[in-house]
Amino acid sequence: MKKEKILIIDDDPDLTKAVKVTLESKNYTVITASSGPEGMDKINSEKPDLLILDVMITAMNDGFEIARALKKDPKHKKMPILMMTAVKGKVGIDFKAEAGDPNWLPVEGFLDKPVEPQVLLSEIKRLLPSKS
Amino acid sequence: MEQNNQITRLIGQAYWLIKLRWLAIAGVCAATFFAGNIAGVSVDDVPLYCIAAALALENIISLLLLRHIPGINTVDTSIRKIIHFQITTDLIALTILLHYSGGIENPIIVYFVFHMIIASVLLSVRESYLQATLASFLIIFLSVLEYKGIIPHHCLKGFVTCNMPQGLTYILGHIFILVTTLYIVVYMASSISTQLRNQEEAYRQANIQLQQKDRIKDEYVLRVTHDIKGYLAAIHSCLSVLANGIAGALNEQQADFVGRAYDRTKKLTSFVRALLRLTEMRLSDKFEMAFFHLKKTVSAAVESVRTKAEEKNITVSSDIDSLTDKVFGNQFSIEETVTNLLLNCIKYTPENGTVQVRTKDNDETVLVEISDTGIGIPESEIDKVFDEFYRASNARKVERDGTGLGLSIAKQTIERHGGWIRAESREGAGTKISFTLPKHSLKQDEKQIGNLD
Repeated sequence: MKKEKILIIDDDPDLTKAVKVTLESKNYTVITASSGPEGMDKINSEKPDLLILDVMITAMNDGFEIARALKKDPKHKKMPILMMTAVKGKVGIDFKAEAGDPNWLPVEGFLDKPVEPQVLLSEIKRLLPSKS
Repeated sequence: MEQNNQITRLIGQAYWLIKLRWLAIAGVCAATFFAGNIAGVSVDDVPLYCIAAALALENIISLLLLRHIPGINTVDTSIRKIIHFQITTDLIALTILLHYSGGIENPIIVYFVFHMIIASVLLSVRESYLQATLASFLIIFLSVLEYKGIIPHHCLKGFVTCNMPQGLTYILGHIFILVTTLYIVVYMASSISTQLRNQEEAYRQANIQLQQKDRIKDEYVLRVTHDIKGYLAAIHSCLSVLANGIAGALNEQQADFVGRAYDRTKKLTSFVRALLRLTEMRLSDKFEMAFFHLKKTVSAAVESVRTKAEEKNITVSSDIDSLTDKVFGNQFSIEETVTNLLLNCIKYTPENGTVQVRTKDNDETVLVEISDTGIGIPESEIDKVFDEFYRASNARKVERDGTGLGLSIAKQTIERHGGWIRAESREGAGTKISFTLPKHSLKQDEKQIGNLD
């Protein structure tokens, strides 16, 4: 069976590494990117099955921009996005994810960091049901 | 909002004047009746009763005018105009009353002072002097007309002596004392009133400053907590890899220490999350409210704590009256509040206990009661349980690491809905948390919440 490929775009190297190891232990192929542009490159070259995306507040809402751009692009529209971030509420940005506004934040899943490994894995299973 | 408060107060004062006038009307009728029928004073009672009727008409007009101002959106000048109208009409009525009840010899003339005081308190200094001038003019005008014989001078035989025909000095002296009294009263009353107004303004400014400082504090807490959460998320994730054996099995001692560190990290995380939630709520002026079904919301909350309750064999039941099903609020935060209160109950209720959710129809609001058979709250501490970071002494024994923020968040949420929340408890027997939710849209309150900052 072909392993599913997950791309993590997050600017926190420690957290990225921990999530990568956790996912790899469940037989996923994990690739990582630490910035928006790097992430976009990897999406095009590696064609991941799922994207774990951080808001990356340091780069001005980068995560939101990526999510919106991907959902507008027919090539990538079908790739599920799991937004995972420590940033919630108001720190310069408005965040309506918990109210579940798909137009505003077009992602399939949302988790508030830190996430328990079990929660993360079951969320990924939910987003990649047919293949797992 | 401050502006609204002032206008609301001004409207209240206008109504207060109307209430006083009803008393004055009753006073005029009673005094006329007493003087004419019991004390045997030669009083011309028909015009006096007519004045009472005119005052009643004035009151009705004032009430109608007040009803027609569109609430707090009115600029205060239109309310001031109504107050002006009332005082002016009063002064004219009092002058006519004076005419029919013995002219300036009647000691009732001192009643002009009342209107000067009222004007000084309710109106501006300039407007108060204007009213004093009007009163003086009316008294002088009346005296001149009576002295010149243009209108007759009514003598109150049996009450005051009739001096009008002979004493010009008497009249001038009388008028002089009265007019100076009126101006001095206005001067004194408006000075005191201005002082009080300035003081109030100073308090108001101080209060605004305090609110601003509080906001700066909240923003600071929010920023710091966010930064801490970022680091915490990385620590948590790294520890979770170790604690879950993803990076290979640990020996017993290693697993023990990593487990302890991981547990404490999780508790710190929940504390940071609670602090963020509370601070965000305090800073946010947006709060979307809509009608939602309480029954469904409470059921969802009960369902989400089912596993936790079963672990301790605690029965959780809910009884939602269908009359109380439709409420107005933010469904997400109410479900969160009910869930957190239920988790609290389960945490502090010994095994085999019960937790109940009940609702009561409370006219304009719905009363929600969540009660348990838990350890309760010591009586001396019951007032403090909603304070931030406060944890009851017996709760600390049951669970060492609690955030002390759960009930503060619940309180914040309920108060944003315009409701109240309170705790009743008997130590060792159980606790009941009750709160209210609005049944109808509270547009005005919502607006006020929005304007708080």
